[in-house]
Amino acid sequence: MRATETGAPATRTPRGGVAEHELIERCRQGDETAFRELVDQFKGLVFALTARSVPNRARAEELAQDVFLKVHRGLPYFRGDARLSTWIYRITVNVLSQERPELAAVSLDEIKPGEAEPRLKPVTHDRAFADLALKDRLDKAIQRLPIHYQVLVNGHYLKGLQYEELAEALNLPMGTVKTHLHRAKRQLRHLLETEFR
Amino acid sequence: MDCDDLEPLIEGLADGAVALDARGLAHLGSCAVCQARVEQARDIERFLASREVPSPPAAFTAGVMALVRHDRWQAERVVDLGFNLAMAAGALVILAGIGGFAWSLGFLSVTIDFTAAIEAARTELGGRLVSQVQTIVMAAVLLTMALALWWWTETDSSF
Repeated sequence: MRATETGAPATRTPRGGVAEHELIERCRQGDETAFRELVDQFKGLVFALTARSVPNRARAEELAQDVFLKVHRGLPYFRGDARLSTWIYRITVNVLSQERPELAAVSLDEIKPGEAEPRLKPVTHDRAFADLALKDRLDKAIQRLPIHYQVLVNGHYLKGLQYEELAEALNLPMGTVKTHLHRAKRQLRHLLETEFR
Repeated sequence: MDCDDLEPLIEGLADGAVALDARGLAHLGSCAVCQARVEQARDIERFLASREVPSPPAAFTAGVMALVRHDRWQAERVVDLGFNLAMAAGALVILAGIGGFAWSLGFLSVTIDFTAAIEAARTELGGRLVSQVQTIVMAAVLLTMALALWWWTETDSSF
């Protein structure tokens, strides 16, 4: 348990606190029920992240299961410097990066020259159809983003994933997350205006 | 302010993180390109916020637990194999040591007359095998069953 500057044990919040610490300890001792609790606690967000990044649902499920297998293997070495959730999201990012290495290596600042002058989207009067088409184009465009941008865009709009966790999971300074999120959405807009018109 | 100045601010405008000053508002009010970009960015923002959150299947946790058990079983199997090999190697070393010690003291001297041994095998061993065939078959059956049981428990991960 971490100590404060006065040497007293730090008060843990319910989120990253005593309950989490105890859960980790129980998992480390081989308590299967504890690990089941851990999986139940995080499966929603992990699966949502993988399913939004990988079009094939069965493959997304395999990847999400792989994340938890890596969590299980890594628990004995988890030092508790970061929150459990952050560590799990970091593993998720790594698993997604391994799945799509071509998108993991892309520079986050990279904007293709052709995207500098986007064309305007065609005007349509059928709003419902336009919305449906936009949703489809948007899904495809998101899967073309670099993995870090995908996790930012997919994770930010999931309930329960905070800026702070995204920053830690992606190893970014807190202040940079918003900037990167705007860049990710900008790249999305460029993709919609060019390749996914 | 022109389109290039406004371009990096579009997403901030769409999600409300950026507020334009008078010059920016004036440009936006008169520029169809920038207006279309902001509209597009707002559409993206709206769709991202309203996207359906994919839910894991009902059997997801059970699947993970089965995977974890199988992983643990494989790890234990490697440890078991290492342990068994170490035990066998240790037993061999001990036997070799005892044999070497006995040989060095002169208690162990082996002289084999191969011709005589082969001849004895032909005449005596054949007769003995025939008389003991029932016992040998029973022993072989029991040994096979024991090995099969051991193999089954080793391959079934639920054990």
